[in-house]
Amino acid sequence: MATSDTSVLETGMKKGGGTFPRSLLSASSLGRYGLLALGAAATFFFFVLPIAKLLLLSVQNEQGFTMSYYFELFRQERFWKVLRHTFVIVLGSTALSMALGIVAAWLMAYTDLKRKKLLNLLIVLAFVLPSYVLTLSWSSFMGTQGLMASFLQLFDAGAKPWSMYSAGGIIFVMGIHHFPLVYLFTLNVLKKIPRDLEWAAKTGGAGKLKTIVRVTLPLSLPGITAGGLLVFLASLDNFGIPAFLGTPVNISVLSTLIYEEIIGFGPSAFARGASLSVLLGVIAIAGTLLQWFTVRKSKATETGRTDDEPRYALGRARAWVGGAMWGVLILITIVPLLSMITLSLRKSYGGKLNWSTLTLDNYRYVLFDNPAIWQAIKNSLVLSSITLVVCLVIGTLFAFYRVRKPSKLNKLAELAISIPYTLPGIVFALSMILVWMEPVPGWNPGIYGTTTILLIAYVCRFLILQIRSGVTAFMQIDASMEEAARVSGAGPWTRWKAILLPLLLPGIVGGGLLVFLTALTELTVSALLYSSGTQTIGVTIFGFEQAGKTLYSTALSSLIVLFIFVGAGLLQLLQKGSARKGGNN
Amino acid sequence: MLKKSTILALLAATVIVGGCGAKSNNTNAGSAGAAEPSAPASSQASPSAEAPAQASGQISFYTSQPEEDVVKLIAAFNKSYPDVKVETFRSGTEEVIAKLQAEKQAGGVQADVLLLADAVTFEGLKRQDLLLSYKSPEIEHIPAELADPDGMYTGTKVMATVITVNTDQVTSLPTSWKALTAAESKDAAIMPSPLYSGAAAYNVGVFSRTDGFGWEFLQSLKDNNMTVIKGNGAVLKAVASGEKAYGMIVDFLVPREKANGSPIDLVYPEEGVPLITEPIAILKGTDNEAAAQAFVDFVLSEEGQKLAAEIGYTPIREGVTPPAGLKGIADFHILSGDLATLTDEREADKKKFTELFGN
Repeated sequence: MATSDTSVLETGMKKGGGTFPRSLLSASSLGRYGLLALGAAATFFFFVLPIAKLLLLSVQNEQGFTMSYYFELFRQERFWKVLRHTFVIVLGSTALSMALGIVAAWLMAYTDLKRKKLLNLLIVLAFVLPSYVLTLSWSSFMGTQGLMASFLQLFDAGAKPWSMYSAGGIIFVMGIHHFPLVYLFTLNVLKKIPRDLEWAAKTGGAGKLKTIVRVTLPLSLPGITAGGLLVFLASLDNFGIPAFLGTPVNISVLSTLIYEEIIGFGPSAFARGASLSVLLGVIAIAGTLLQWFTVRKSKATETGRTDDEPRYALGRARAWVGGAMWGVLILITIVPLLSMITLSLRKSYGGKLNWSTLTLDNYRYVLFDNPAIWQAIKNSLVLSSITLVVCLVIGTLFAFYRVRKPSKLNKLAELAISIPYTLPGIVFALSMILVWMEPVPGWNPGIYGTTTILLIAYVCRFLILQIRSGVTAFMQIDASMEEAARVSGAGPWTRWKAILLPLLLPGIVGGGLLVFLTALTELTVSALLYSSGTQTIGVTIFGFEQAGKTLYSTALSSLIVLFIFVGAGLLQLLQKGSARKGGNN
Repeated sequence: MLKKSTILALLAATVIVGGCGAKSNNTNAGSAGAAEPSAPASSQASPSAEAPAQASGQISFYTSQPEEDVVKLIAAFNKSYPDVKVETFRSGTEEVIAKLQAEKQAGGVQADVLLLADAVTFEGLKRQDLLLSYKSPEIEHIPAELADPDGMYTGTKVMATVITVNTDQVTSLPTSWKALTAAESKDAAIMPSPLYSGAAAYNVGVFSRTDGFGWEFLQSLKDNNMTVIKGNGAVLKAVASGEKAYGMIVDFLVPREKANGSPIDLVYPEEGVPLITEPIAILKGTDNEAAAQAFVDFVLSEEGQKLAAEIGYTPIREGVTPPAGLKGIADFHILSGDLATLTDEREADKKKFTELFGN
C-alpha cells in the first residue's frame, strides 16, 4: 500500500513539473515549492489584495471596525428590490444565452449547414458589437417610431411593440450580447466528443433525442457550464445595458446601484459602494461553486481529436434550419450592425434619411482629422495583444495545474481570479488605484498613470476567460494520453508539443480570442485608469458619446468591426496556408 | 511620439488662430483692445509674487470636457505658456470624482487643476478640504455669484438647462416650463436622470426649491409620463430622432445638432433656467502652484473665453459674445438655489426623486 502511494506521488510530482524542460525539472523539489510560493504570492498580490482592500473599505468608518454599512443596506427596501431585479435579470439573461448558445453550437458542430465560417463570424460579432450599439439599435427598432411599430401597424393600427425599457428588454439584449460566450465554449467541446459514443448509443437502441440527452449533453457539460458561468459573471457586472434600458422604468440592478453609490457624495459613498461590491462578489463565488458542483462528476472521455465533419445530415430540413439560423442572426447581429453603419453615414442625428443627408464626413474625421484616434487604436491593439500573450501563457499553465493537480490552494486561487471579471469596471478600477498607486504606503513606484496599470488591469480582469477555456480543454484530455507518452519515453517538452498542445489548441485559441476582443474594446476600467497618451478605443468612444457625438462613435465602432472582419479573413488565409504546408509534409 | 504630439498641437493651433482671426471681427467693444497674445499680459497683472516669471514645469489636469475641446484649450494655453506641460485625464464628472476620491484614499490626490460640470460638486470637494484658494485677477470680469466667495473655485462657462423640441412634431415653440406638464407633451417628453448626471441632480434641487415649481412640478411631470433616461446625450438622441417630441436638456448640445441638420430647436423658458458653470479649481496638494494659477488665469482670460465661445459654449466672462443659437447670461432669467443647501440635500433630493418616479 505504502509503495503504491509513493509511486502515485512521484508521478504526480513529475507531472507537476511537466511544463518545463528537463533540465529545470531535475531541480530539487525546493525549486518547485519556490514556484508554488511565487504563484501564490502573485495571486495574493494581483487578485486577493485588491479584493481585501474593498472588503476593508466596507467595514471601516472613522471610528474603526463597523458592519453598519451592511446593516443599513439590509434595512433599505430599495436594496431588496434591486436584489430581486438582479436575480431575475441575471438568471433570465444567462438562461437565454445558454439556450441560444447551445442550439447554435450544436447546429454548427454537428449538422451539414452551409457557409459555416461566415455564420461563425456573425455569431462572434454579436459579442464584439459594443453594448451601447446593441441597446440603441434595439430600443429604436422596437420604439414607437421604429421599424417594428410600422410592421405591426400593417395589421393593427393601434399596435405597439413590446417595450425594450423593461426587465424583459434588458434580459433580451444581455442574452443576445453574451450568448457567443456559451457558443464558443460549447462548440469546441462538442466537436471533440467521439462519434463512436453516439453510434454506440444508437446501436443500443437510443433514438436521436435520447442520444442527445443521455450522451451528448452530459459530455458537453464542462463547456456549457463554463460558458454559462462566464455569462453569469458578465451579466452581473454589466452596467451599460441596465443603465440605459432600466433607468426610464426605474429598474436598478446591483451594478447600477453601485455606480449610483460611488458617484454619490459624502464620505461614506465609497464604503457603501464597496459593501455592495462585496455582496456582488459573494454572488459570483456562489455561481462559480455551482458550476464546479455541476461538472464534479464529469469525466474526461477517451480523447477525440477535433472533428469538423458533420454528423447529422439535415436533409430536406437543411433549407429551413439554415433559413431560421440566418433569420435569427440577421435579427440579432446584422440589424444592429446595419443601424450602426447607417447612423455613421449620416450628417445629423435624426431627420429624414435620403441621399442628401448621407456623408462620409464622420469617417473622414475619424480616419484623417484626428490623429489621437489612430494613437488610441494603436494603444488598444498593443495592449490587447500583450494581454492575450500573457493570459495565454499564464492561463494555460494555471488550467493545467488546476485540472491535473487540483488542490484547495488552486481552487481558491481560481475563485480569487474570477472576481475581477465580476466586479463592475468602475469598482475594479478603483481597487486598482487603491492597490497600485502606493503599494507600500509612502512609496509610489510610478505604475499608476502609465500604460502598465492598464496592462495589469486587463490581465487581472480577463485572465479568467483564458483559464476557463483552458480548464475546459484539459478536462477533455484524459490523463492516460500523457501517461502513455511518458511511458514511451517522451520528455515533458515533447509531451506538451506533440500531445497536449495540438489537442488543446482549438480550446485555448477560442479563449485567447475572447481575451483579445474583450480587451480591444474594454471601456469601464480604462475610463478611470488611462492617462495622457494612453487613450484606448473604448475611452475614445466613451468620450464621443459623452460629448454627444454619436455619429463619430458609430463611425469608429463600424471601423473596428471592419478591422475584425479583415483580421478574421487574414487569419483564415493563414490557416489555409499552414494547413496546405502541413499536408505537404 | 514627440513628433506626433507636436503635429497635433500645431494643427490645433492653426485651427484656433484661424478661428480667432475670424472672430475678432465681431468682438464687443470695451475688450477690443486686448489682441491675441493677451494672456501674458494677464499674468503680469497678477498681484502674487511668484507668478511674474513665466510658469513652467508640469501640471496634471482632470476634466470632464470633451477631448477635442481640451486639446484646443491646451494648445492655446501653450502658445502663451510654452514651458508648461499639461497632462490631461478626461472622463465623465462622476468618474473623475471617483478617481480623485480613490487617489485621496490611496495616499494623495495626483491632480493639480480640476474642471468639472457643476458648483455643487466643487462645494463637496471644498468641504473635504481638497481645494486651494486662488482669486484670479480675471475674476473681476466674471459675475460674482458664479464664483466661490472664498476663491476655491470659479465658473468658466454658462450652461443653461432648457427645453428642446423636435421641430417635425412641434410647430409652435413653447415659452414656459409648463409645456412639459401640458396635455400636448403627455407621453412625449424626456429628461436626464439625476442619479447619473450631476447637472440633472442640480436641476432637480433647484426646481424643487423654486416658488411656482417645487416638488409639485416634478410630480406633475411624472403624472404627464415624463421619461427619465441616463444622460443629456440620450435626451438629445431621443428628441432628434423623433422618439420624443420634448426634452429637458443642457443648451449647448442643441445648436450643434441643429447646424448638422437635425430637426430640433431650443427655447429658454420665460420663468428662467437653472445654470451650471463648469467651475475650475486648484487642488490643495498641487506641487506646481504657479503653473496651475497660470492655467486658471488663461481659462478665465478674454482669449480663453473666446476660445470657449468658438468651440460652442456660452462664455461666462462679461463682454464675450456667445456662439450663434445660444443666449448670453444677460439675456435670460436665472433660477438658482442656495449652494450649501443644494450640497447638503443632494442625496435626499435624489432619493426623493427616485421615490417619486418609482413605479
